[in-house]
Amino acid sequence: MSGLPADYLDYPLRKRGMDHDIYPYRALPTAKPVQWPGGARVALWITVHVGHFPMDMPLKPFIAPGGMERPYPSFWDYTQRDYGNRIGIYRMMKAMAARNLKATALLSAALAPLYPVLMDDIAAAGWEPACAGLDMGHLHHGQVPEAEEAATVKQAAALLRARFGDAVRGWHSPAHSESPRTLDLVAAEGFDWTSGWLNDDMPYSMATSSRPLLAMPLPQDLADQKMLQQQNMATEDFCQSVLAAHAALDAEAAATGGARILTLSVTPWLMGQPHRIRAFGAMLDAIMATGSVWNATGAEIAQAWQAQQG
Amino acid sequence: MLKEQQHYDYMPWRRRPKITWPGGARVAFWVAPNIEHYELYPPPNPRRPPWPRPLPDVTGYSWRDYGNRVGFWRMADVMAKHRVRGSVSLNVAVCDHYPEIIERCCELEWELFSHGTYNTRYFYGMTEDQQRAVIRENRETILRASGQSLDGWLTPAISNDEATQHILAEEGIKYTLDLLHDDQPTPIRTRSGKPLVSIPYSLEVNDVPLLVMRNTPPDRFAAICKAQFDQLYEEGAESGTVMCMPLHPFLIGQPHRIAALDEVLRHVTGHDKVWLATGREIAAHYTQHHLAAHQAWIQEGTP
Repeated sequence: MSGLPADYLDYPLRKRGMDHDIYPYRALPTAKPVQWPGGARVALWITVHVGHFPMDMPLKPFIAPGGMERPYPSFWDYTQRDYGNRIGIYRMMKAMAARNLKATALLSAALAPLYPVLMDDIAAAGWEPACAGLDMGHLHHGQVPEAEEAATVKQAAALLRARFGDAVRGWHSPAHSESPRTLDLVAAEGFDWTSGWLNDDMPYSMATSSRPLLAMPLPQDLADQKMLQQQNMATEDFCQSVLAAHAALDAEAAATGGARILTLSVTPWLMGQPHRIRAFGAMLDAIMATGSVWNATGAEIAQAWQAQQG
Repeated sequence: MLKEQQHYDYMPWRRRPKITWPGGARVAFWVAPNIEHYELYPPPNPRRPPWPRPLPDVTGYSWRDYGNRVGFWRMADVMAKHRVRGSVSLNVAVCDHYPEIIERCCELEWELFSHGTYNTRYFYGMTEDQQRAVIRENRETILRASGQSLDGWLTPAISNDEATQHILAEEGIKYTLDLLHDDQPTPIRTRSGKPLVSIPYSLEVNDVPLLVMRNTPPDRFAAICKAQFDQLYEEGAESGTVMCMPLHPFLIGQPHRIAALDEVLRHVTGHDKVWLATGREIAAHYTQHHLAAHQAWIQEGTP
């Protein structure tokens, strides 16, 4: 017996469209154009990854981006990330408040009981609270037992809703990682939007076993975690890439009449460092200087998009 | 296994009790040269191999050895030129291997604190008694070599284990650099209730992460350090901040990088509201003037 089984050359899902039933194929140029309030060409969605990295987080089957890189107990990794929740996020809040901008906090729900004062300050800043799982030690992936994952989603949602109530509309799977069941579990918990998939610049609807979820665009290629932490790029390279993205989306919106979304994927323990915070502010200024920008939360963008689908 | 660290309390970066530094300075600036010795033939550690290559790792060894033969002297001269004292993160075996270096440090009135015995002897997996023995021996060696007391601590390779901070407090260490959670000194909770404070070290403007891990060219290194200083100087108007600049002579003392250090120190010392301090001085000032207010604010729930 040599070679592979005969069915290795069978392609049962080889047909027009997707190889799954979660959403149909859509080519962006053919998507129905949408408009933002005030005729803004670009919606600016600032998503802030407010993560909690437990010291004993599992490192298998893969390490979450930003996860513990050194042997247990890595006070090095833990405290460097925790810095973001103590200090970095406050620098970012200040920079945004000074420019009258608001953000969506993608929260590790475990932070709600751990740092209640931070939750109060996020609410006071007018940010949208969204659920980014329980913590970075509880990733969603194909090897997690179903009951365990269901319990994690339920617990995470309950922790954040206990603090923020119905304001919690969105779900972001930590590390952009999901099991085959994650979307079903998230929809069943009553979330409206999710931002784990990297396949579009505009929202689209995802089918689940209960109710549809709206997939919101949130980039990984253009994320400070990816560029600054994983690829070791300079702060300037990240900021210039964001501005290049904005210029391209703005031009597309002008050319097609269909508004676009610029999603900033930023992290307090990276962007909130003293040596980076001014670059963050300058980047926001450069985005706003173009005019025609609608700064909104995930829920607001989702709602505006949904209302125009007819 | 611990899920969370047990050493410090949450302190949001707003409305903290104000810190004032001597002379009305906004920022306490301190330089921590890591003067180290990595052994050519270290023993294995269960959690971390001491060298990436099979022993002897001649590349790794000789690269670091450059620091003690060449880089240190070059670095020390630039620091002396700007009248910036060092607080040495010292592998204390250096006292035995290279007394000339310790002599020069003492001549320049630098502080010596412990960075363990060798940088190839990690704390991972040590018993509490073994950790205690290292601290006590380090204290004696530093006293013998320089007449100084041992006040500060940075675990070799930041390999501190679960109990390390508790042991430091019990052994009379006054300040720790093992925790990277803040831009100000903070109280540390210890199991004995013995006092210990955390002083900001840095992995952000530290030449190892920047130059080796993040591939930063020298001019960008200088720009990042200056940006770090400018922000902390600005924020220091509200409440005193700390900027630590950790250095490694085998990196910053290279001919292609030494001008970057000169440029950063020129920039920092060109400001009037800077306290050019040592780790020991920062810890003492904070402990005496601000520690109680910070503890009280934590007790009140950080309003």
